[in-house]
Amino acid sequence: MIRLEAVSKRYGEQVALRAIDLEIHRGEWLGLFGHNGSGKSTLLRLLLGLTRPTTGSLLIDGKAPSPAGWRRLRERIGFMPERIAFYDHLTGREILAYFGRLRGVGGERVAAVLEQVGLEAAADRRLAGYSKGMRQRLNLGQALLGDPEIIFADEPVEGLDPQGVRAFFDLLHAGRVETVVMSSHRLAECSHRVDRICVLNQGEVRALGSVEELSRDLHPPVHVHVYPSESANGSLQTTLTNLGATDVSMHQGAWVAEVAQGSKVAFLAGLAGCQPQIRHLHIEEPSLEELYFEHE
Amino acid sequence: MNTSDQVLAIARKELTDRLRNRWVWTVSALLFLCTVVIALFGAAPVGVVGNKGAGAAMASLMNLVAYLVPLIALILGCGAIIDEKQRGTLDLILVYPLSPRAYFAGTFLGFTLALAIAVVVGFALSGLLLVFWVGVPAVEYLTLTALALLLGTAFLALSFFVSLLSRERGRAIASSVFLWIFAIFVFDLILVGILVLSGGKVPASLFGALLLANPADCFRILCFQWIGSAATPLGLASVAPAGLPAPLLLVILAFWVVVPVVASYWLFQRRVDRDALV
Repeated sequence: MIRLEAVSKRYGEQVALRAIDLEIHRGEWLGLFGHNGSGKSTLLRLLLGLTRPTTGSLLIDGKAPSPAGWRRLRERIGFMPERIAFYDHLTGREILAYFGRLRGVGGERVAAVLEQVGLEAAADRRLAGYSKGMRQRLNLGQALLGDPEIIFADEPVEGLDPQGVRAFFDLLHAGRVETVVMSSHRLAECSHRVDRICVLNQGEVRALGSVEELSRDLHPPVHVHVYPSESANGSLQTTLTNLGATDVSMHQGAWVAEVAQGSKVAFLAGLAGCQPQIRHLHIEEPSLEELYFEHE
Repeated sequence: MNTSDQVLAIARKELTDRLRNRWVWTVSALLFLCTVVIALFGAAPVGVVGNKGAGAAMASLMNLVAYLVPLIALILGCGAIIDEKQRGTLDLILVYPLSPRAYFAGTFLGFTLALAIAVVVGFALSGLLLVFWVGVPAVEYLTLTALALLLGTAFLALSFFVSLLSRERGRAIASSVFLWIFAIFVFDLILVGILVLSGGKVPASLFGALLLANPADCFRILCFQWIGSAATPLGLASVAPAGLPAPLLLVILAFWVVVPVVASYWLFQRRVDRDALV
């Protein structure tokens, strides 16, 4: 649907994106993850046509977009910007009514969206009295006004509690939205909600694929926490190393053995022979957050 | 979605904002107060207070408009568009299916309507007093109001350009104040200086052309030509060369609206394309 080919973006001397190759497929949910300054927002701005590549090309349905092409695309999309200060002196309803008029949407749709995002009770209150969560819901409501097929969202769950994050994704699922491109810092909470993740660092794509694919490809080590029993002797650390742990350290009363994914089964089988020395065992699979930091 | 509906939606929003934050009513009240005070007490320094005749009142009012309306327009336009950019709403609006041209047109229209309502309301209130008590001819007063609107729109257009060029509200305010001082005070002083230094040998055509380079002077000359009861035309309009027909002056004043608007739009579009608005 939207394809970036060797796209780079510079702002003066500063390189925001380097040689990005990325295709967004119709119907997929794509998460852009990375730290501040990693290039997520610039990438979103490129995909929305708010900025142009310095080099490389952006194609929509296989063609370089004309102004009319952008306009056609924009009729199908909703956008949730990250840093937006809607008009504090207006009520939630007035704000949505204004953006609705820009989309050719009337008061009935505005009322329906206010109900959809759970703001009908606060609709006639001024925005100045809205909490951060309510502002985010209003932002989502604004993006949903045109009943879009595609949602671009820049840090949409920033500032939301876990319940709010779940509610946000539920709202997206409830609509007509087919394709979602969202950026976030909160990899752990969002990664399992998307089909693919794109990890950006210093303007480069460091990883692209589903969580399963990335886990498989990166072979991140597992950490096995071995709590020694009272009968354990001093040889347990050596035993863990001999069983294939690449690193063994003591942490809060447990030996923490770092074991490569490929050696995990053999390592655990070997531990069975040391059972009298082990009081408790805890296997810590790498979280996606750790995978993410692996890419830093 | 019809483009004209989008333009009107944006214009309505800009106008409503300025009505709600009382900018329009504050300016109206200021204009009303200044108009009445200037008309009644403008000649107080020379010992004349109260109804001193239509001519003197109109001359005072022309001067007031030439000073105050450009300043009001420049302040109004400070931060136009760049405030929306800094707020984050401009990026959002530009992702909507509307062209930057429609957004720009709607914004300028909304600001112009706010200025127009402020000027018309302020002048209408004082106009009743001046026409019925001082005896200012109604047609001349209406002409002055219309010219004030045109002058204000020209400076509003200039303020859009200054705002976009400045990229930041604080700089835009400083630049606007500089522009106002230059157009209202410094420009005429420079022309007077040139006249004095040259011993009056500046060709009339060149002098006329130089006067037209300032919308405030265009306004003054037009008032001098159209508002006959003004006994004491002020500023360099009094030494304006003959042969500058009023329709030409009107076209040139309108030109001072169109050129900055076109230049502002060009700058806006260029900076949107380059993602370099602020």
